[in-house]
Amino acid sequence: MILSFLRNKVVDVKQERDGCLKVFWRLTDTFLDASLEIEVKPPDLEITAASGRVLRSPHKQCGSAPQLLSRVLGVRVGPGLRKITEGLMGGPAGCPELAEGVLECCNAVILHFTVPQLQATEKGTQEEKKERFRAMLRFNPRLLRSCVAFAEDSPLVDGLL
Amino acid sequence: MISFSRTMLVGAEFPGEDLVRFHGMLEDRIYAMEIIMEVRLSDGVVQAIQGRMKRFTTPVCPKAVEPLQAAVGMSLKEPGWISKLNREVGRRGCQHFAEILVECGRCLEAAGMAHELLAKAKETPDADCGSLIQAFLSAHPEMAGKCMARTQEA
Repeated sequence: MILSFLRNKVVDVKQERDGCLKVFWRLTDTFLDASLEIEVKPPDLEITAASGRVLRSPHKQCGSAPQLLSRVLGVRVGPGLRKITEGLMGGPAGCPELAEGVLECCNAVILHFTVPQLQATEKGTQEEKKERFRAMLRFNPRLLRSCVAFAEDSPLVDGLL
Repeated sequence: MISFSRTMLVGAEFPGEDLVRFHGMLEDRIYAMEIIMEVRLSDGVVQAIQGRMKRFTTPVCPKAVEPLQAAVGMSLKEPGWISKLNREVGRRGCQHFAEILVECGRCLEAAGMAHELLAKAKETPDADCGSLIQAFLSAHPEMAGKCMARTQEA
């Protein structure tokens, strides 16, 4: 069946020589074409730069939405990020699409740091892999109860709670 | 060099006048999964859902396919629907499945608009797309006030 609507979202993370992370995000769909770029500085993971463009939209006012991005400068990728970003950029006076774009960029930063940890769990015996997951959970207890793999009754969590 | 990359794709087709079928897909360096979800356009209630995990991190992850059924009966137009999906599908199952569902839900209004505009464009082939969109937005005041553009237009 022919589609009536199509949306494509892409987010890429690139680490610069100085350790800063540049994150590129783009949304294109039947009505909207928007992009943004943020820079995140370790170790605090503070957003040090943010810019964006709305190239196509059904509303002419969307062209000024990227100005909202300056509000997230200084925000850190960490607890409370969703509430802070939505408060600064979302709602009836903001742009929920770009606010979500910022959050997706920040999520990509977290996943950038997660990739090497997960690569380490791919090697060894089943028991060794399980132990590496458990070490990851001990290091990052916020993952506990976050999904079925890290639920209380999961074999990966067994004995950790 | 890119160290992390993610693509999320949502397609919407209309097998019935009041039924939208979403095809949602997430692919990144760590995960790959997809869903097919049917939603009633008028009230946003999920009618059916199927999911497939293609690439994942733990042997437990495939168990997250079953909790997808918790979405059936939920309305994607009700206040708090995102939190509810994140809780029922994300925490009980897989956060990344929930992310796909939420993205599909966010596309519901736009998909309905695209469907209606395509029909209008067939009826009036000479009308320009911009004026069709503006006519649609004027005829749907419920879409006003959700962001700075819609608030100013309202």
